[in-house]
Amino acid sequence: MEQFFSPILAAIGYNRWILHVLLILPLVGAIGILVAPGSWARWFTLVVAGLEFFLALGLWFAFDPSNGGIQFESQVDWIRGWGVSYHIGIDGISLFMVLLATGMMPLLVWGSWHSIQVRRRGYYALLLALKSAMIGVFISLDLFLFYCFWELLLIPMYFLIGVWGSSNRLYAATKFVLYTFSGSLLMLVAIVAMVWTVGRATGTYSFSYDHLLANRDALAGQAPWLFTAFALAFAVKVPIFPFHTWLPDAHVEAPTAGSVDLAVILLKMGTYGFLRFAIPLFPAFALSPAVSAVFVVLAVTGILYAALVSMVQPDLKKLVAYSSVSHLGFVMLGIWGSTVQSVQGAIMVMIAHGVSTGCLFFLIGMLYDRRHTRLIADYGGIARVAPILTTAFVITAFASIGLPGLNGFIGEFLVLLGSYARFPVAVGIATIVIVFAAAYLLWAVQRVFFSPLVHEANRTLRDVDLRELAVLVPLVGSMIWMGVYPNPFLRRTEAASRRYIEMVSPHLPPLAHEAGVIRQEAAR
Amino acid sequence: MNLDTHTPIGAALALLPELVLTAWSLVVLLVVAWRHTTERDSQLAGWLSFVGVALSGVALWWLWSHDARSDGVPHMIALDEFRYASAALILGITGATTLLSIRYLTRQRLLAPEYHCLVLFAAVGMLLMAAASDLIMVFLGLEVMSVSVYVLAGFDRFRRSSAEAALKYFLIGAFASGFLLYGIALIWGATGQTNLTLIAAQLTGAPTTLLLRLGLGMLLIGFAFKVSAVPFHMWAPDVYDGSPTPITGFMATGVKAAAFVALVRVLNEGFPSAKELWQPIIGALAVATILFGNIVALAQDSLKRMLAYSSVAHAGYILVAVWAGTPFGSGAVLFYLASYCMATIGSFGMVAAVEHVGSRTVLIDDLEGLFEKRPWGSLSLAICLLSLLGFPATFGFVGKWYLIASALREGHWILPVATVIGSAISAGYYLPVVTAMTFKPERSVDAHRQVAFSRASKAIVAAVVGATILFGIWPTPVLDGALASARSLTNLVSGMAER
Repeated sequence: MEQFFSPILAAIGYNRWILHVLLILPLVGAIGILVAPGSWARWFTLVVAGLEFFLALGLWFAFDPSNGGIQFESQVDWIRGWGVSYHIGIDGISLFMVLLATGMMPLLVWGSWHSIQVRRRGYYALLLALKSAMIGVFISLDLFLFYCFWELLLIPMYFLIGVWGSSNRLYAATKFVLYTFSGSLLMLVAIVAMVWTVGRATGTYSFSYDHLLANRDALAGQAPWLFTAFALAFAVKVPIFPFHTWLPDAHVEAPTAGSVDLAVILLKMGTYGFLRFAIPLFPAFALSPAVSAVFVVLAVTGILYAALVSMVQPDLKKLVAYSSVSHLGFVMLGIWGSTVQSVQGAIMVMIAHGVSTGCLFFLIGMLYDRRHTRLIADYGGIARVAPILTTAFVITAFASIGLPGLNGFIGEFLVLLGSYARFPVAVGIATIVIVFAAAYLLWAVQRVFFSPLVHEANRTLRDVDLRELAVLVPLVGSMIWMGVYPNPFLRRTEAASRRYIEMVSPHLPPLAHEAGVIRQEAAR
Repeated sequence: MNLDTHTPIGAALALLPELVLTAWSLVVLLVVAWRHTTERDSQLAGWLSFVGVALSGVALWWLWSHDARSDGVPHMIALDEFRYASAALILGITGATTLLSIRYLTRQRLLAPEYHCLVLFAAVGMLLMAAASDLIMVFLGLEVMSVSVYVLAGFDRFRRSSAEAALKYFLIGAFASGFLLYGIALIWGATGQTNLTLIAAQLTGAPTTLLLRLGLGMLLIGFAFKVSAVPFHMWAPDVYDGSPTPITGFMATGVKAAAFVALVRVLNEGFPSAKELWQPIIGALAVATILFGNIVALAQDSLKRMLAYSSVAHAGYILVAVWAGTPFGSGAVLFYLASYCMATIGSFGMVAAVEHVGSRTVLIDDLEGLFEKRPWGSLSLAICLLSLLGFPATFGFVGKWYLIASALREGHWILPVATVIGSAISAGYYLPVVTAMTFKPERSVDAHRQVAFSRASKAIVAAVVGATILFGIWPTPVLDGALASARSLTNLVSGMAER
């Protein structure tokens, strides 16, 4: 397939314009919706979202898997006096984040087709604007630009939760913005301080990621507090235990599409930030034994704590929200595992979590649309009246648990495998916790779908219609695809993960078996 | 073009914008003396004053475009880009205030056209402050401005709070002027000079005397009163709350901008070698102002009072850049002032439109459901508040980077961290306004029936909002301008050469 598509894409200069278009198109669409008649809003958004997805598909083929560096790169001066530029590009890590963000777009529109009844125009415009900011976060290679998108994203999310959310939406929206906004402000100071420090050492003041990375030795003296500032911003976004308290509120109160976007993209921004900025810029400090210990302990605590809290949630959406905290703990563990496998595993968990948790939120949204309740106790015996919905839910839950053959397994397995050499105890604990994950999800599935049908209202519950099937089939399909044949995904992340490890490895204590591999490669 | 400010003609040319504005305001005063009874007369006075501001702007443009410079050491009047840029900002603020006032005065039945003359007089004082290269001129400008604003604060004769505001402002302002004047006297005692450049020359290499310390301290207290820095801010909330809304906006922007540009010039031109004396004071004022202003603003119900405390907090942010004492820092002051003034004018323009006739102050709750009735107005207010908060893609965001960078460049991190902590707190009071407008339903069916926008205020609000977004995305021209202006500040002392 690639041999077929690559020349076509090259012929239309795809590599040069694609990222700009992906970034701008949703924003243009958002403005278009605001000026177009209100009745067009849904269809217009669907067209824009479909176009965006279609264009982004080319990335899959045009991306060169053997190249671990930045591809599709372009740089234009923006604020020359400060050394700020419009510098964008993607590598194997951000490729999948962009694909996730764009791939979800049509599904998000489909998913909110009937559930959003008021102020449709504003809703869809914000949904598109949010997408622009998300894509911006993942393709920015200039720290000023990155920070802009990082913060801009809060506004659409704030309104999506605050206007179209459920009963306690005001509290959740405000908490979300206050947490994440204040978390990232120190990062602003750190970015400026970093640029001046490097500028003074090299004579070039530039916010460009490459420039800072190449001269990261100049930052070594200030690394502890610079890293802390970055880590705080990212830790709130991940969210790492104990900064996670905004997440359940935001997830529960947000409309379905908002929850899905939160789960699929927003939560990945934190871990992406660690992989892209916080660790490569300050590897010596970030990967020092003490700091590693802190993050690994927090990651494992998060995995365990969130799993336990999930078990007692009466609210289905809250249960899934806490399960996200648990999954993201695996990602953090994989990042600090710092081997090619563990980093690849972390990226795989990020993708898998996006697909399966996104799908769970869609399913909960469908249940909510029918019964207007999210309490587990209000359901029961749904399997009898809605078999297709139940099937989809069960498969997704299995994927989320990490059943072999579905996508969750690959990532978690790689994380555990890759991190074992460095943190055997933590990996041991995390492996045991997977049992809890199975417990809370399966128990919830049992209570919602298989226990006796006691509530009369559930007897008339509709099964999924065609529109909802169109949302579920691609998601469930990709779960199975990734689980059975993960090779295309792993192949595209491998070079980037390898490059990442090379970037940070001088500051890592070498592992026994790894030292051998490095020697072999050097010999080659 | 070089002007010898020692000759009458040279001095007159150097003061052209101020002279034009003074002459025009006298003309307006004459017109008003004959015609001061009907609504139309009041409006006429307003439009006439706007023309005066425009004429003064033309004079300013003439000086600027001819690149007027002073022959030798500037004598009383500074002729540099820093002055031109600040004067342009002040004229912009004055023009906007005039236009916002026209409809407001009619609505609030304040049919006294002298109002517009007083605004013009205050603007003359502000321009003088921006142009002063001599401490005596600073004081003159300050007094001309202050006396006019005292009267303006108490202009709403039907409200007690307005009278209270005027009296409070007058008493405390008089104190502040006293401090300033006494400081000038002591500095004269220490150096024998009032001209900033000559003071700097005197101070170079000289030991610091107690007299100088006292003088500088008093000078700073005087300025701190005018910019409402904590702990000299006590007047601000009551005065801002009680004054007619456009005047509150005028005080929060024009008075503050004039005081800040004068402060920057005095410190950088006059006392560069005494930097270790004033830097700790400014730094302490900045931290106290940022933290106090932001925390107290959280507790306000009244929109005007909240904006008053937020303007106190913003004075703290600007002090961070003043602290740096470098051309980069002075550029940051100008840049941030521009962004802050735009957002503040936009906000007060909206408050003036929402305000009920002859009513108590505007509460944040009064805005509930405004988005339904006035989507564009609410959007404008939201953008202004986001700019004040320092959100990306707004002017205020770039301004905040500039401030933080100016202090970090000096290798200092306490002030930048205080700035961002302050910003984080400020999200807690800017966002509820946005929340009230968009998320909450209207209180009653006709809650927003009285909202009235004249075409002029619509134009002003649209212009500042447009500029806020434009310069947020493309700040390069303003950045270059601000830095170039800041570099023009005369600096005799070596070792302060720009980095």
